[in-house]
Amino acid sequence: MENVILNRLPVPTFRWLKVNEVSRAENEFGTGAENVIQPDDDARIEITGGRNRLVINAAENSRREAVVFISGSEGKTVVTEVNAAAGAEVKLVQVYENSGAANSSVNAEIAENAALELIQLYIGGADTVSGINAELAGRCSKFRADIGYLLDGTDKLDINLTARHSGKKSSSEIAVKGVMRGHSEKIFRGTIDFLKGAAGAKGKENEDVLTLDETVRSKTVPLILCAEEDVEGSHGAVIGRIDENQMFYMQSRGIPEDKIYEMMARAQIAQIAEKTGDSETIGRVGAALGGGDSDEQLYKE
Amino acid sequence: MSEEKTKVADIDRSLYDFRYEEDERDFLGSGITADIIGALSDEKGDTDWMREFRLRSLEIYRRMPMVNWGPSIEGLDVDNIVTYIRTKSRMNSDWNDVPADIKDTFEKLGIPQAERESLAGVGAQYDSELVYHNVRKEVAESGVVYTDLESAMHDERYAELIRSHFMKLVPPTDHKFAALHGAVWSGGSFVYVPAGVKTEIPLQSYFRLNARGAGQFEHTLIILEENSSLHFIEGCSAPKYYEAGLHAGCVELYVGRNASLRYSTIENWSKNMYNLNTKRALVEEGGKIEWVSGSFGSHVSYLYPMSILNGRGARAEFTGITFAGEGQELDTGAKIVHNAPDTSSYINTKSISKDGGISTFRSAVTVNEKAVGSKSSVSCESLMLDSISRSDTIPVMDIRTDKADVGHEAKIGRISDDTVFYLMSRGLSEEDAKAMIVRGFADNVSKELPLEYAVEMNNLIGLEMKGSIG
Amino acid sequence: MSQLLEIKGLTAGIEGKTLLHGIDLTVGAGETHVLMGPNGAGKSTLGSVIMGSPEYAVSGGSILFKGEDITDESADKRAKRGIFLSFQDPVEIAGVSLSEFLRNALEQLTGKHTKLWDHKKKLKQCMEILGMDSAYADRDLNVGFSGGEKKKAEILQLLVLEPQLAILDETDSGLDVDAVKTVSAGIEEYKRRTGGSLIVITHNTRILDALKVDKTHILAAGKTVAEGGAELAGDVIEHGFERYINGGK
Repeated sequence: MENVILNRLPVPTFRWLKVNEVSRAENEFGTGAENVIQPDDDARIEITGGRNRLVINAAENSRREAVVFISGSEGKTVVTEVNAAAGAEVKLVQVYENSGAANSSVNAEIAENAALELIQLYIGGADTVSGINAELAGRCSKFRADIGYLLDGTDKLDINLTARHSGKKSSSEIAVKGVMRGHSEKIFRGTIDFLKGAAGAKGKENEDVLTLDETVRSKTVPLILCAEEDVEGSHGAVIGRIDENQMFYMQSRGIPEDKIYEMMARAQIAQIAEKTGDSETIGRVGAALGGGDSDEQLYKE
Repeated sequence: MSEEKTKVADIDRSLYDFRYEEDERDFLGSGITADIIGALSDEKGDTDWMREFRLRSLEIYRRMPMVNWGPSIEGLDVDNIVTYIRTKSRMNSDWNDVPADIKDTFEKLGIPQAERESLAGVGAQYDSELVYHNVRKEVAESGVVYTDLESAMHDERYAELIRSHFMKLVPPTDHKFAALHGAVWSGGSFVYVPAGVKTEIPLQSYFRLNARGAGQFEHTLIILEENSSLHFIEGCSAPKYYEAGLHAGCVELYVGRNASLRYSTIENWSKNMYNLNTKRALVEEGGKIEWVSGSFGSHVSYLYPMSILNGRGARAEFTGITFAGEGQELDTGAKIVHNAPDTSSYINTKSISKDGGISTFRSAVTVNEKAVGSKSSVSCESLMLDSISRSDTIPVMDIRTDKADVGHEAKIGRISDDTVFYLMSRGLSEEDAKAMIVRGFADNVSKELPLEYAVEMNNLIGLEMKGSIG
Repeated sequence: MSQLLEIKGLTAGIEGKTLLHGIDLTVGAGETHVLMGPNGAGKSTLGSVIMGSPEYAVSGGSILFKGEDITDESADKRAKRGIFLSFQDPVEIAGVSLSEFLRNALEQLTGKHTKLWDHKKKLKQCMEILGMDSAYADRDLNVGFSGGEKKKAEILQLLVLEPQLAILDETDSGLDVDAVKTVSAGIEEYKRRTGGSLIVITHNTRILDALKVDKTHILAAGKTVAEGGAELAGDVIEHGFERYINGGK
């Protein structure tokens, strides 16, 4: 059985933290011939197993959108290639609803004035290894990632995201919101890499994690690598608790602490689902969130 | 003393004794033999346990792989350095051998000739031994022990205490250079503060480091009993030069219940040095460790003081600044292990990169299952002064409980043109304007230092900033 | 019979700094009290401490609500008893809509499920009183609201939740004349519907015009320095605090 090394941190750190890379048996993530999907237009794709390659080529100044649902108990590999030519705008939504193992990677080339908006929602997942690499090669290229995860039981999620800025005035914004329960484990690695010459580039990264059980294990590894003077980079992370002012405000209106955690947990994920603007996604995620008392649902009572 | 022993034995090793896994790599160190180490023990008149300790450390050193994740240390020839130290009695013999840039810096910092020679490792003992003795006398009256570790080991009053603490916090198995340290350590300070004693004057290892032969593999052991307090200052702003370019010191700090220790360092090793220093503090219930750390010198540095918060309500604060100039790769930061409920940690660092220098902030905050209700806050800021330099930020947070509150913030940027213009419009030269901004940036550290050190650090920044304007 | 709110010798502070020194304050059912004083007098602190903010530590004295000691209770328990605080600077909560939040709060307070239709109807009706666009109900709580909109949203919550004691912390500050009128109308409506008690922290009389003030308390440096009826509030606004602060009680 071949082992593969995945999600390698661009610059390694202390070994005992065990965040430098992840190793998995190759056949864990589906077998067989590669299924290549290359839609010509906006697409809605369901992937439930096997080895898959999704290619999105967005021509100059075009707009493309793809919504991909990745689900089921079979092991699977999903490789996504995005080429956004000059001035193109691509929106890629990926919803992971796996009970099995999944290995996903997104590799994006973003040209001058082009933009990629990536929205990923991880609802559970026995063992999900997900790599995202955005090459901000063009001048004024843009990358925005909104990632949400909801983990419970023995769910395991391993993310390695890199935004590589080589284009002048390129910008990236990465917002991650997560909720963890049970014995779930998660590593989020997020790297903003400013290469020499990326003058005027800006990068921002944020992770907000609510840990709802004492048995969870959350690792956050937010890197900024910088070889250019004229850049602005920042990252932030809040792990564990709800902001005290928010807590007091909600308590003062009579809502007890455990209820507040539940509301905020739902809100974390619902916010990202809303960003897709896709009613199927909102519906499916809403159903997974359970106890969803969104107004739409209550109207139907 | 037996109580001390029990305390040390009680530490849950697994929580911070992160061993390197062995892998098949080229191992350095085959040139250092048991004979060489044996001869060192003879010279020092080591007790049997220390003799064995050194040999065991050498074994571990041989088996351990090289560090493979940080700045390159390929230029380091450990075997030769150790042999060199053995044969050349660790000192430069001639002022003329000291490189010109070092002499030049002494000149600019206004250090007297006698002191310069001492700092450069040349010549006889520096007069500060006298000052040191006076300080020692004053603190001794309150029951504080402040002496050099080697002779304390032979003093029956402290021998057992030292044996039960020496390299218990940083075991030789910690990493390759900790093992090397265990084998060849020499010199360093020993401080013991009895229960309830609040030490008013800061103790400074500066005086000790200038002593002959000390400074490269020195070991600092500080033990604070319950309700005591101490401020210890290590190093000074003048560059220390050794022809053999390795510093692998070790600092072990034991902070007892409700005790408080501040450990300040301004480090300015000469720019041929590999600084692979290991510092660690163990803090008991209600105790507090404060690190203040300025890293300016060396060719390569690996420096991440670790605080292990082992008792309820223990606290750690780390304030640091790193300034990497031409030819320097300074990899610095802090590690915090939250091991008990209601512990808190606060890390605040600044780093500056210039003239091709590389500065890396690296941290690890671990909140264990037992550390319910703990808080940690990390803030790091980096300043890039040109585009041939590099600045990386590599933090890790590992959280294993729900009732924790962990925050992290990092920023990277440059000096804004508007600010420089504003200052220049008020009559400052561009160079002065930038130096002023950098000094302001470094303010978090300088305001934590005793005045004379803050002044020296500001001079040092001014010096480093000179000629930075193309 | 016991009073609605009884504060006795309340001493409280933050990180070892005492901000309130032995405050006594009694508010009867249906009464309207005005709390005035220079900046930093401790007015907002008192409001937050009555609501049970964990930011402040109470080191002495007690707070009784309807005769029961609530000094150590958490904010949500106090809210359930019928205390409400209109925040000076309401926090933003992304992902939770105003409507959803209020229904959650209402269910906690009443202990029963609120029918969505009834909830929506009541909300809409209250929003009309305050001249609020009904679209705000579905927006995230306070997120991107202007200062005025946030204050209106606080009064909206007051109308929906119908507490027995409402503390209004500078609800009128930073509002233009029209907005103050709207907010005042909302407070009047609350009084009319519930006959609840009010503690109004303010710097000017406009918000008081429509209310029948029973008592005025002047705070300075964490102490009560003067107390009187409605006329005291008017006097302070006309002549300033100085003589009360310097002259003492």
